[in-house]
Amino acid sequence: MRHLATGWAAMLLAAAVFPAVAADPVAGGFGPLPPVSVPADNPMSAAKVELGRLLFWDTRLSGNASTSCASCHAPQTGWGELEPLSRGYPGTRHWRNAQTILNAAHYSRLFWDGAVDSLEQQAQSAAEGAVAGNGDAAMMEMRLRLVPEYVTRFREVFGTEWPRIHHAWQAIAAFQRTLVSDPKKVPFDRWLAGDAGALNAAAQRGYALFVGKAGCVQCHGGPLLSDQGFHALGVPRHAWADSDPLVQITARWQKLQRGVSAVQYKGSDDDLGLAYLTRNPADAGRFRTPSLRELRYTAPYMHNGAFATLREVVDFFDRGGGEGPNKAPQLRPLGLGATEKKDLVAFLESLSMDQPLLLAPPRVPRSKPLADGGNDARPR
Amino acid sequence: MKEWRRTLGAVLTGCMLAGTAAAAGAQSLRLESLPPPATVKPALAKLGWHLFFEPRLSGDGSRSCASCHLPSRGYADGQPLSRGYNGTEYFRNAPGLLSVRLKTRLMWDGRLDGADLATAVRDMVTEAHFMNADGRLIQERIRQLPELLALWREAFGAQSQPYGPQIFVAIAEFLKTLDSGDTAVDRALRGEKVALPAPVREGMALFGGKGQCIRCHNGVLGTDGKAYRLGVPEHPAIADEPLRMITLLRHHATMGVPNYMAERKDLGLYVVSKQAADRGRFVTPALRGLTHTGPYMHNGMLATLDEVVAFHDRGGGPGSELQPLGLSVRERAALVAFLRAWSAPLPVVVEPPAYDFWSAGAAR
Repeated sequence: MRHLATGWAAMLLAAAVFPAVAADPVAGGFGPLPPVSVPADNPMSAAKVELGRLLFWDTRLSGNASTSCASCHAPQTGWGELEPLSRGYPGTRHWRNAQTILNAAHYSRLFWDGAVDSLEQQAQSAAEGAVAGNGDAAMMEMRLRLVPEYVTRFREVFGTEWPRIHHAWQAIAAFQRTLVSDPKKVPFDRWLAGDAGALNAAAQRGYALFVGKAGCVQCHGGPLLSDQGFHALGVPRHAWADSDPLVQITARWQKLQRGVSAVQYKGSDDDLGLAYLTRNPADAGRFRTPSLRELRYTAPYMHNGAFATLREVVDFFDRGGGEGPNKAPQLRPLGLGATEKKDLVAFLESLSMDQPLLLAPPRVPRSKPLADGGNDARPR
Repeated sequence: MKEWRRTLGAVLTGCMLAGTAAAAGAQSLRLESLPPPATVKPALAKLGWHLFFEPRLSGDGSRSCASCHLPSRGYADGQPLSRGYNGTEYFRNAPGLLSVRLKTRLMWDGRLDGADLATAVRDMVTEAHFMNADGRLIQERIRQLPELLALWREAFGAQSQPYGPQIFVAIAEFLKTLDSGDTAVDRALRGEKVALPAPVREGMALFGGKGQCIRCHNGVLGTDGKAYRLGVPEHPAIADEPLRMITLLRHHATMGVPNYMAERKDLGLYVVSKQAADRGRFVTPALRGLTHTGPYMHNGMLATLDEVVAFHDRGGGPGSELQPLGLSVRERAALVAFLRAWSAPLPVVVEPPAYDFWSAGAAR
């Protein structure tokens, strides 16, 4: 609450300083991101975050020890992927875009269709899902137990004799809670805080469009620049959905996993989004509004990576979105001119840090043979 | 110490019981020739043949059944310890599959029922350290392989769609067609007049006599389907290579072994029964086709049949339920000659062609 109030204050301050461009600042609820909320059963600690950092890069947390979290969420590609549809587990291709995990700690629901409600569950789902990590929980757990450094670190952090796999998800979630935008490095946040030079003229005009004529703020408000709601935009099918057998296989498999009706399974392989969770046909095609922070580094865009550039995204919204069921009423043709589109893109780019958040891959600890005969465990 | 005494006591009791039973029933124990081939549904077995060699039935699309069950090795893999799935290493020897339809128990620890081959196939295909596949994902892959889809519909009907559990049924049907060939030994067992070479004749007599092999190695396949402790040494790679220890300990964990992190040796049947007397007991292996399926024993620790016979002649290793036999060099060689004679040449196996995925709504 306190942070929300701070955000509002900053926004009002910005409105006072730049009355010409702040068309309707109050409606946006903008401000720097508040501290992440931390679940009571997974408190943060430096040691846990460090353990999570190691595990994030550890390929042993997959079926064939080939794929780590970082394989599809690589820092140098915005903690996501350059490919429109994620590479997925070897032998598969995912049906959705690997979205950035930057600021994911601020989402109340994770995955494009909101399938889970915590980072801990998200980590587990990704590591175990057949088209993502395809890991077996017991196998991954035992791999961790044969790594002496992990045994020590898990014991220090979680107090268990041997690493447990659900603690691995907790540690990875704790690490992810540190991967957030720093408001001091984000031009828009600096501008809101009173640094008049933080946004150039084009970005300021873009801001006015964002909260005004373009109506972006209807869904992209608040510190996260996302209402965390689920909306259908009619984003076109990705071409690979009709050309890549692996994508088609995954699409049908995803439907089976989600327990859709035979009619849905046989009828179409369109991605139904939120409807998989709610079973409500009115939710078909709805996906969670993504945050606009760090957009500069996180192309391509949309749940299926349909758009490679921000300009394509702006063009799409300018057309009033695409075709599809349950289309969001907020979408309508905007009639933006070429300069206005450029201005809007300039503003969108100001929502990212000046430099991308990069971390070098850590040295992942090695497994070693256990002492023979259980001598380092309890006596028989 | 107390535990050790208890275990020893159980071993001795077990030996006495086994000895009594053998003395009572030894007369009736014999080797038998192969029954007629299994009756299979040809279209189903043909589909199973394709699926047996299909690597896309594994999680990452790289390993088929045939990766560890090579036709050229009697459907074993020629390694002491099998490789398993990518990123894992297994802790036991891959057994051959010739005449697997006649086995009463499957797996070295006997945890699967030989009468239900489809379930055994499911275990292999979905198990994290074998093929690590998701049944629904692989059924959707088959839908995208038009040639396989056509075979599927020949087997299951024109309107049918690939369905995970039926994949395993089809492979099981193919496995029922794998038989060891008929040998001169089989003809002799059927009472036909055959001129077996002298060492083979001598070995055959030893097998049922002084060698006492017949006590456990009897029936059609030369196995009683029961588990015994022979004291085969642990394979050192299990302790030395973390990937193998990982697979072993995970097996113990998922099978519900108490205090499994401290159980760092292959426990055999104990993992299934949780009875202390079953520690280190493994199911008697079949003897048909042995010349193709070395190395031998549950962990491949014996490279040749000569070593196997010598090991049994010594009465096995520590904790063994076997007794020393006191065989001469000549007698051991005769036993080996007999075992070899019970191996028919491998049938020529044609591998199915490899197919490419099709992208099409047609496969929908």
